[in-house]
Amino acid sequence: MMIDPVCGMEVDENSKYKTMYKGKVYYFCSPHCMKAFQKDPEKYLKEGPKGMPNE
Amino acid sequence: MSKEEGEKLRIKKEEELKVVGMHCATCVSTVSKSIKSVKGVKDANVNLASGIARVEIENARLKDIVEAIKKAGYDVVTQKISFKVDINPEDARKIEEKVEEIKGVIKASVNPTNGYVIVEFNPYSITSDELAEEIYKKTGHKVTKVKSEVTNKSEVKEMLERLIIAWIFTIPTLYFQYSGLLFIAFLTSIPVQFYAGLRYHLGAYRALKNKTANMDTLVSLSTNVAWFYSVYALIVHQQVFFDVASLLISFILIGKTLEAYLKERISVQITSLKEVKATLADGRIVKASELKVGDEIIVKSGEVIPADGIVDEGSGEVNESIVNGESLPVKKKKGDAVIGGSTLISGYLKVYVTRAGERTYISQVVEAVNQAQTARLPIQNLVDKVASIFTPLIIGISAIVFVVWRFILGYSTEESLLFSVATLASACPCPFGLATPLAVLTSVNRLAKKGIIVRNGESLETLKKVDTFIFDKTGTITEGKISVRAEGDKDAISYASALEKMSNHTVAKAISSISNGSFEVKDFTEFPGSGVYGKVNGHDVIVGKREFVLQNCEGEGKGDVLVCVDGKVSASFYLEDKIREDAVKVIEHLKRMGKRIIIATGDTSENAEKVGKELGVEVIKGLSADEKAELVKSEVNKGRIVAFIGDGVNDAIALKEANVGIAISSGTDIAKYAGDIIIPKVGDLLTLLEYSKLTVRKIKENLAWAFGYNSILVPIAAGILYPTLYLPPEYAALAMSMDSVAVSLWSLVKI
Repeated sequence: MMIDPVCGMEVDENSKYKTMYKGKVYYFCSPHCMKAFQKDPEKYLKEGPKGMPNE
Repeated sequence: MSKEEGEKLRIKKEEELKVVGMHCATCVSTVSKSIKSVKGVKDANVNLASGIARVEIENARLKDIVEAIKKAGYDVVTQKISFKVDINPEDARKIEEKVEEIKGVIKASVNPTNGYVIVEFNPYSITSDELAEEIYKKTGHKVTKVKSEVTNKSEVKEMLERLIIAWIFTIPTLYFQYSGLLFIAFLTSIPVQFYAGLRYHLGAYRALKNKTANMDTLVSLSTNVAWFYSVYALIVHQQVFFDVASLLISFILIGKTLEAYLKERISVQITSLKEVKATLADGRIVKASELKVGDEIIVKSGEVIPADGIVDEGSGEVNESIVNGESLPVKKKKGDAVIGGSTLISGYLKVYVTRAGERTYISQVVEAVNQAQTARLPIQNLVDKVASIFTPLIIGISAIVFVVWRFILGYSTEESLLFSVATLASACPCPFGLATPLAVLTSVNRLAKKGIIVRNGESLETLKKVDTFIFDKTGTITEGKISVRAEGDKDAISYASALEKMSNHTVAKAISSISNGSFEVKDFTEFPGSGVYGKVNGHDVIVGKREFVLQNCEGEGKGDVLVCVDGKVSASFYLEDKIREDAVKVIEHLKRMGKRIIIATGDTSENAEKVGKELGVEVIKGLSADEKAELVKSEVNKGRIVAFIGDGVNDAIALKEANVGIAISSGTDIAKYAGDIIIPKVGDLLTLLEYSKLTVRKIKENLAWAFGYNSILVPIAAGILYPTLYLPPEYAALAMSMDSVAVSLWSLVKI
């Protein structure tokens, strides 16, 4: 199991929401989390999961 | 608070919808918000575990709620069912409205030409049997459940039966009335009035129940006025009109039987496999619908191939015009695919069935065409308005005609009554209801024979108004056969080639053909629209668009696709794709028409710009599937009418956002293609545009027939030219029923 770097939820590696950043693959629970990460990846990688993005 | 006020404040209904695609708490809040944004929704409760959204509705349409959920990016489980119902064409809109009022119904569309009602409903709140019962309760129409049949032979048969009975009793009625045997004439007129004319009286009753009036009202009113007045005249020994009442019904039935026959002829133009027989390899003969995947069938020359399959033995020439509109036969030999519904012109084939029954290509076409036939074109709104005031207007005119002849011009009650009845009998709103659907039906059927599948009949009208055409590039404007030139480290090129073997993307396929070496690929991950990642022989390899690779890798590189091995850019690929000949013709034609043309592509290569320069059109490159959809949306929001033409699989969202989505399919599984219309190749767009123009013209011509016919007949029947030209009620009725025949025949005339 992987951890969604945005909300902290456990995610499966088969999740269709994924992105690559600096050569590493990150998995997400939803398109909202993925978009939030793509906007500012450094914030989540430095500060850890922030919970569900409010959209 | 009174009891009535209390009733008003109560929640009108509660619906449970099964929402698909919710993953997390955010989804729940998104879905919940989208439902609550619909006006008239009181509350919504969404459960992530069960996927059920419980909605309290005060005064909102279920259709709007479902649309709101879909717009938020989720789907709703719905079910579709076809019913057969006996209706008048001009009542179609009223029936749709009544059916849409039923709890659980999302959308209803009625095809007035063949009496099919397709209802999309929420299976969590109503079953199909309950739905049939509710439709009967609401509209007074008994419905029979059907799946996807296009034909209806029973209507012609039933009409013919009534027509024969009508004439068997009308002739003696005339004889006895003119011989002065009035009581026997009364007796012989009863079966005509109450058996042959029953469908009109029942129709009039149903219309009354629905607080509307239609053609049945006019027929029933005119014949009943003539008949009941005659019964009264018989008692008080005055002139009777049993002949008028009987002839009126008999003449109308001639026209209506002919109309039913014509409508049926137009409907039954698409080949269906239902009737075809199949010979199994062991010699048994079965119906095509009984075939299963894995069966082996024998097809001899001249026979229709009963299912989709692969040739296992033999060879022959097959006419596949149902798939691509090409009438030239195609040679088939062992290993080739054959399509059910196509015809083996010469030769012998043993075919292994790969798709049977409703999954065959032709069944999908019949289903799609059937749906398109129920389309409601925007022009129909105007027609509906005319039809809804037409009958009350005629009844009013008929009453005025009686008053004028009787009290102003001083004619006898009998004579005045004849003018009044003739006015009722001469007017017919039917052709107003038939004009649009018959024209659409004819076009949709004719296009299907050319391999063009119209799924949404409305798009035929919209297409004529399109001012902006947005094309996908790869596979649509270009041949989609990409040639690749590689530069850089040989190992990196081989690794990239091995990695791309795992992907289905067109560019990936081209790159994967470069090298044949054997490599171990692990952890393959695809980033749609960007690139791929994997471990090849233990090396970290990224292959993708230049921007994507440079974001994740060190180094620099030119080329359309870059390869990154162990964190360093090591090789690059240059792509080239040829422009299709028919695409050049289409673009030139659209330019001559003064249309705006954009090529929207995911491709970032220099080749994309080259294609744009060669064709002289604007190119927007590097767009993901979502961005293409955004582009379409923004053009639509600017007030432009947009058609998007692209591959039905990759461009599904953009196709949906456009006013008209045209998918190009090279395969035979039309179910998987999004879009309103499916064309085999981009060149067919020209045929489609031509048909769109002709369909709208045909609708206008049909309406002109309907309008012209009524505006000439009604004044003559009212006696405006009396005594020079006079139309007795029975001839007025005959002339009236020929109006619909004229419209039906005109729809069949080649467009």
